[in-house]
Amino acid sequence: MARTKGYPDPKLETKLRDRYLYRTDSNPDFSKKVKDLSRTVSHMCFQCGTCTGSCPSAPRSSYRIRLFMRRNVLGLEEESLTDPDLWLCTTCYSCTDRCPRDIAPTDVIMSMRNFAYQRGIVPVNFLKTVQAIYQSGHGVPNNDVNRAARVRLGLAKDPPTTHSHPEYLPGIRQILDHYKVKAQADKIVAESEKKGA
Amino acid sequence: MAKDYALFLGCIAPNRYPGCESAGISCSKKVGINLHPLKGASCCPAPGAFGSIDLNVFMAMAARNIVLAEKMGMDIALECNGCYKSIWEVNHKLKHNDDLRDAVNEVLKTVKDPSDPSGKSDMEFKGTIDVWHLIELYYDPKVCGVEKIRDSVTRPLTGTRIGVHYGCHLLKPKKERHFGDTENPMWIEELVAALGAEPVQYRKKMQCCGAGGGVRGYDLVHSLDITNEKMINLHEAKVDAVTEVCPFCQLEFDRGQIEIQEKFGKFWGLPVLHYNELLGLAQGMSPTDLALDLHAVPVDPFLKKIL
Repeated sequence: MARTKGYPDPKLETKLRDRYLYRTDSNPDFSKKVKDLSRTVSHMCFQCGTCTGSCPSAPRSSYRIRLFMRRNVLGLEEESLTDPDLWLCTTCYSCTDRCPRDIAPTDVIMSMRNFAYQRGIVPVNFLKTVQAIYQSGHGVPNNDVNRAARVRLGLAKDPPTTHSHPEYLPGIRQILDHYKVKAQADKIVAESEKKGA
Repeated sequence: MAKDYALFLGCIAPNRYPGCESAGISCSKKVGINLHPLKGASCCPAPGAFGSIDLNVFMAMAARNIVLAEKMGMDIALECNGCYKSIWEVNHKLKHNDDLRDAVNEVLKTVKDPSDPSGKSDMEFKGTIDVWHLIELYYDPKVCGVEKIRDSVTRPLTGTRIGVHYGCHLLKPKKERHFGDTENPMWIEELVAALGAEPVQYRKKMQCCGAGGGVRGYDLVHSLDITNEKMINLHEAKVDAVTEVCPFCQLEFDRGQIEIQEKFGKFWGLPVLHYNELLGLAQGMSPTDLALDLHAVPVDPFLKKIL
């Protein structure tokens, strides 16, 4: 929509001006990017609020999934990606089950998180999981107390996963390196530790 | 006739609650399900943490685990909702979307299979197997069924009241899954009743445990407040224990209760048992066989009722 219509008569220009709400920070590409990655019809949201009503995080925080859905339609990239509430979704999919427009708001949040990560905006706990998996193949690695318990149960000290078969680890690292997630994770964690120190 | 499956363990069951693993293997054997270890499997990877960071790497990592089972020529059985979300969903998506499958295979091409002595890399996702949660195999009459579970019980859990927590990623989103109703499902209750216990309905049964989506790591107090709401509702229904089918929910309920005590000053003391552990008890396994001493919240009040 053009912001000025270029009519020679300034009176008519004022009278007939477009009255839509304009935001200078709107990025239509953002809505499209979210739609492509999330593979859900995210632009169809009519703001009924069923999602926020179903959300276990909403009653105890300022996180409103409906707000993120609106930001998505309006292309408010900056506002979406820098909001710390983005990380309060437990991905329980209650909103997705109840959405009357068959949208998956959870998947919209997930793709927004992906785009935030690409810009280096991501809580470190997510990256620590990446580092743990790069190291051992497990997000929650084994420990000595548990090893002792496993032996008592007649199980092998380490499960038959990458813990017992480290020869499978290079393949996992290959995948993580292919997408450069380990490098990005190390970089952001180091930066945040520097800030904290 | 016994059926064979590749057992995908995940992380929390083998590395925090090994009783889930040992009970899963020995209990399912008694009802005609043979589980074989999936050698070289990794984290599923954690759908909250990895999915949030990069959905492409999430799919490639899950696909690698699926390919290991494809090579064994067996369907995957698993015992964690988080793993179900990763493994089942990626298997489903890659089977039905050519573009996603091609992208994943492009990466897997570069991954070598250590079990292949010729060194030829052949980690291609072919889409030849299915993925099942152990609990749906227990319920499926074609594989096991409620009757068989009931027949396998040697020590019925008579006189105990048990609340069931389904967890999120097994059933939801329902449009992609095949379990039907997600507002008030009752089929795990049938499996609990088969053990001789009384399944109890409570408020907001289908609410999330609070751990998922990386929230437990990001904002622990927020996550615990959701858990606390579950505890209030379970307590109100006077249950003796809560059972779930997801070790991550178990971790949140079990260790979470200790953290709730630290942060909010309230101790619920509600025993938390994975359905596998419950089945193990009902089939006569001893609490030490199930490593119930590793639970943060003592299970003794519940055990006293049945032993």
